[in-house]
Amino acid sequence: MDIGNLKKQSDLNFKVAQAKKNALEKLRSRQLMAYNERLFRADANTITLVGTLKQHSTDFYVLDCNDNPCHIQDPEDFLNRLVQRNQETLNAYQQLHQDLSRKRT
Amino acid sequence: MTTGVLLYCFDTPEVNYHALAERCVSQIRRHLGLEVTIVTNMETFRKFKPMGMINYKLVDNKVGNTRPYRGKTMAWYNRERALAYEHSPYDVTILMDCDYFVFSDSLLQLSQTHFDFLLHDRIHDLSGENMIAGRDESVLPLVWATVTLFKKTGTASAVFDMIRHVQEYYSHYRNLYRIKYLNYRNDYAFAIALHQLNIRDRIPTPMAMLADRVDVIDSDDDGIVFKHGDTVNFTSGQDVHVMDKEWCDG
Repeated sequence: MDIGNLKKQSDLNFKVAQAKKNALEKLRSRQLMAYNERLFRADANTITLVGTLKQHSTDFYVLDCNDNPCHIQDPEDFLNRLVQRNQETLNAYQQLHQDLSRKRT
Repeated sequence: MTTGVLLYCFDTPEVNYHALAERCVSQIRRHLGLEVTIVTNMETFRKFKPMGMINYKLVDNKVGNTRPYRGKTMAWYNRERALAYEHSPYDVTILMDCDYFVFSDSLLQLSQTHFDFLLHDRIHDLSGENMIAGRDESVLPLVWATVTLFKKTGTASAVFDMIRHVQEYYSHYRNLYRIKYLNYRNDYAFAIALHQLNIRDRIPTPMAMLADRVDVIDSDDDGIVFKHGDTVNFTSGQDVHVMDKEWCDG
């Protein structure tokens, strides 16, 4: 491949990488959700933590994004909302990821 | 409990901030559905097109401060923000620059949580070129005053008292924190006040931003299209701070 095409490929890869980075930041921003006046990320860590604690107790405390404690009295409801928000954001990201994959090829 | 958005908007000889505020209000209505209060001066107030129900508060703004923009030095009327606690008629206030555009309900989520004072301490440069955050510009943990949420509590009141004190003795605090820039910047005044009062709650995600060198070339209700160099990109459903001050002028 000549240097002109290599540069084109490099520029395209930069644009795709940046679009992916922007989409991930948007995903993280959309994963923030309020619950019991506290702020949580509907990410894999929170979902796993809540899922695990739910198996051991009907109510428990977790730390929010700013390290403030939150009393979870209805773990089922909390987990459902986390999963719903998580999947909403991931579905949107998946769409964009597919578009980017097509662009790269 | 009332929740609303507070904007400060003063046209300068170089920038029609009222045009940015008009667009900003339209986005707030569409995505947040909140009441809006605009603090402005008489000269700027006369230029606003009719926007329906808006609370206006007219003040005589301080002048004299400047900022760099695209290689020029421009007037910057930014000192009134220190009075936001007194100016806000709301229990929960989203204090916002009029060049911050909401394309999601993320701020509503934040406003429904327990806090006294919240703002960003990180940014995400959408262009990918890291043009905004400088290095070694102070010895202070920087925050961004672009979007600030506060409640009418004793803590928030103390923060604004501290901001006013910092503003009054800014040259002292600028030296203390070794701030590189001579002009008054709310980002630094807010950061100093929070540092002095040891208040640590922050918005946990970075603020999406576009530097002043990036041109906004198109927009709709869902996002904007921007251009830097030969690269064109877009945002969708994401709140963004646009530093290109001319894009709403048409």
